[in-house]
Amino acid sequence: MHTLSPERWFEQFGVDDALTLRVLATATQHGADDADLYFEHSVSTSVGLSDHKVNRAHTSVDLGVGVRVVIGDQVGYAYTEDLSEVAMKRAAAIAAEIARDGHASVPPQQIRSGKVHDFYPVKRQWSDVGVAERVPLVREWESQAFSRDERVKNVQVGLSDADKHILIVRADGTRVADYRPMTTAYVSVTSSEGDKTEAGGFNLAGRAGIDFFTQERQDRLVDEAVKRSVDALHAGPAPAGEMPVVLAAGSSGILLHEAIGHGLEADFNRKGISIFADRMNSRIASDEVTIVDDATLPHDRGAINVDDEGSPTQKTALVQNGVLKSYLHDRISARHYGVDPTGSGRRESFRSTVLPRMSSTYMESGPHDPAEIIASVEKGIYCVTFSNGQVQIGAGDFAFYVRQAYLIENGKLTRPIKDVNLIGNGPKVLETIDMVGNDLKIDDGGWTCGKDGQSVPVSQGMPTVRVASLSVGGQS
Amino acid sequence: MNPTTSEQIDLAERTVRETLGLGADEVSVSVSQGSHTTVQRRDGKVEQATEATTRGLSLSLMVDDRYSSHGTSDLRPEALTQFLKNAIAATRFLEPDPDRALPDPALCGRGSTDAELDVFDPAFNDYTPADRSKTGQEIEAAVVASGLDNVISSSAYIADGSSKSARVTSTGFAEETHGAWFALGGETTLATPDGKRPEASAYYAGRYLSDLPSIETIQAEIVRRANERLNSGPIESGKYPMILLNQVAGRILGVIGGPLSGGSLHHDRSCLKGKLGESIGSKLFTIVDDPTIPRGLGSRAWDGDTLIAKPRTIVKNGVLESYYLNTYYGRKLDMAPTTGGRSNWVIPGGDQSWQEIAKAFPKAILVTGFLGGNSNGVTGNFSFGVRGVLLENGVPTKNLSEMNVAGGVLDIFHKLSAVANDTWTFSSTRSPTLVFEDVQFSGT
Repeated sequence: MHTLSPERWFEQFGVDDALTLRVLATATQHGADDADLYFEHSVSTSVGLSDHKVNRAHTSVDLGVGVRVVIGDQVGYAYTEDLSEVAMKRAAAIAAEIARDGHASVPPQQIRSGKVHDFYPVKRQWSDVGVAERVPLVREWESQAFSRDERVKNVQVGLSDADKHILIVRADGTRVADYRPMTTAYVSVTSSEGDKTEAGGFNLAGRAGIDFFTQERQDRLVDEAVKRSVDALHAGPAPAGEMPVVLAAGSSGILLHEAIGHGLEADFNRKGISIFADRMNSRIASDEVTIVDDATLPHDRGAINVDDEGSPTQKTALVQNGVLKSYLHDRISARHYGVDPTGSGRRESFRSTVLPRMSSTYMESGPHDPAEIIASVEKGIYCVTFSNGQVQIGAGDFAFYVRQAYLIENGKLTRPIKDVNLIGNGPKVLETIDMVGNDLKIDDGGWTCGKDGQSVPVSQGMPTVRVASLSVGGQS
Repeated sequence: MNPTTSEQIDLAERTVRETLGLGADEVSVSVSQGSHTTVQRRDGKVEQATEATTRGLSLSLMVDDRYSSHGTSDLRPEALTQFLKNAIAATRFLEPDPDRALPDPALCGRGSTDAELDVFDPAFNDYTPADRSKTGQEIEAAVVASGLDNVISSSAYIADGSSKSARVTSTGFAEETHGAWFALGGETTLATPDGKRPEASAYYAGRYLSDLPSIETIQAEIVRRANERLNSGPIESGKYPMILLNQVAGRILGVIGGPLSGGSLHHDRSCLKGKLGESIGSKLFTIVDDPTIPRGLGSRAWDGDTLIAKPRTIVKNGVLESYYLNTYYGRKLDMAPTTGGRSNWVIPGGDQSWQEIAKAFPKAILVTGFLGGNSNGVTGNFSFGVRGVLLENGVPTKNLSEMNVAGGVLDIFHKLSAVANDTWTFSSTRSPTLVFEDVQFSGT
């Protein structure tokens, strides 16, 4: 069992308060509006099954520190995997170069603890769970998948987990530490019927220990993977052109992530390069639309107790009843706009500097019954599962890829369709969300968001919604 | 100072010996060290400057026919020993898979010397912070002076890095290599009457600093892309000829990458299974995987399995000639290994410019960029968001956005009707502009 608290975790690597104060003094030698040290120690493990065998494993250890110095909106950054005082001071001196023309500021003289939430307590850290405990889970998921449907021909399974400890020491002497568990499981299935072969998969993820895998979750992991594979056997090509689109509750929150979420990250707005840059407090959607970004959901993949520059995390209303109310702020943008940070400063690792990022982004429930929404569409599509998306921040054009969907004809779901890209313009699409269901669902899949080469875990959610028109990239 | 790699070879060899001593039957160790610098300028000042040196060790090992792989950046000797012990202990809980054994040593080695690959520019050692600062200011100044109207913000990007790595296996492979890279570019964001703020950017990468384009070229490319973003929108859904610009051709070519892989073939997830020797495209469709191109961004002396890196024809005149088979999947499929992953892809060009070719089409869509989309390796179907320009008899008549292109791997390359004479060299996909007929686009 690990007995070190998160705040004391890095003492095993020789990092104590006195050393961090000395490194910070080097970082701020030319002055700084802000500065921080970000220590990280990650231990991750994955095991995989294919060909009926649990036949591969991967482990990795990542250890290092990033040093950031901020002058106005200018950032100097350096990092090292070597936690010796010499190496850390060398990195600090490089980061400090951004402030070369400034004046030395007074470095902090003592350390004080900052506020940290507790959204993802675990009974056992993953480092205390042996590979021997992981292997039976993986075997069972494969066995269950084959037992579900005789059309299942091939099953691959993976279970990944990580223990990540971080320590942030800020220029004002504030110290915050966090232990961040993460686990992801996937089941990937290939099915055949006649001369047709199709693949489908499902994954689950959360900031949790091994007890995340309740029987309900294990059953859903297998059931969904098999269902997606065999359903695809009978799915046909999608239509092409503009049409009404109904998005099912859950992972269709990818629309929010791409259509508005990135555009509300405050770095794009303070630079004036987001299509939402001058729309604060203006109406951008109907009354039924309220969108939040929420880092406080217990054990959620997007949850964080404290952000990656030491600010407390929160639930932030981005759009309230159709009116734009807030951007997602890190400390640089919060200073720029004269507001409090929203706890949205995140980074992939100690090798990356801080950017405003989403956590769990979702739309609150509206008034409509989901069946009423589907029944309202004469001809369109109903999108169920998704894989990826992208946005152009300034133009506002976005796209997301639909793995599985259904045609809607005269208010009824008719034939299944698959593999189609949907494209639209964020502000235009938000204006045309005209029905919001009463069935908000937060998706617990393994979503990852990319920005400026950095990947961070996120989640998303949505009630059933109707979009009046989107361009559907089908083949007929 | 020229990079020296002896310390890395030493560490890799010591780690091989230690891992074997702790109970592994086979082991392959890679030790790498690198440095990189990035400078981003915006609106007249440095927005962000990042500099770092980085290091890491990775290994794969076999214990009693069981396989695992591992990586660490914590190279303190006592930590490394414990890491290796944990790795071996974890491996013993797995099930045997002898096909994971290291490859036949006769297949392993260098395909080219570092000198032949020419992937380390001596100018890297003399590239100073002052040089980066000067280049960044010049790019930014050129973007600002580009003559575009209603510019909101302009930026410049300069990056470079070097890496040194050593690879040692318990079966006798011991090699080291070093390389460098440079990248630069710029971006501008415009305010347009429709309330949008379209961005236009141009980025280039190369092994040699002198291979990168001039600042005037970067400026001209940003202006071209910016003008293509003005007043853009969709046109009617339908089938059009697609002129796929060289610099983005990799997105469509890439849809065959997954189905060509040994993993996809072995797990019945490939639409190209059983297609070796069959026609999968027109006579104009040829792809050569060539890891030996001097200064190539994808060039290498050996592959991930330490197999000798050499040119391979993947598709020749439309006929599929080779899959990507690493040692493991070669054994699983009872086929000779080729290589596990792509290096440089070379698509032969033609004699005409795409502008000349385009004149023959009353209407065609010039695809200049992609937005989102994906493909299904089992069926081969793909659907991507696109932007570009409508050409009528070769003349640009409308800028396009909010459109998709869709098709199938087993169909699209049969529609390849022309290749232009403008091979793009700033990528590991070295393709000319490609022309496809009768392609499905969706818009209004």
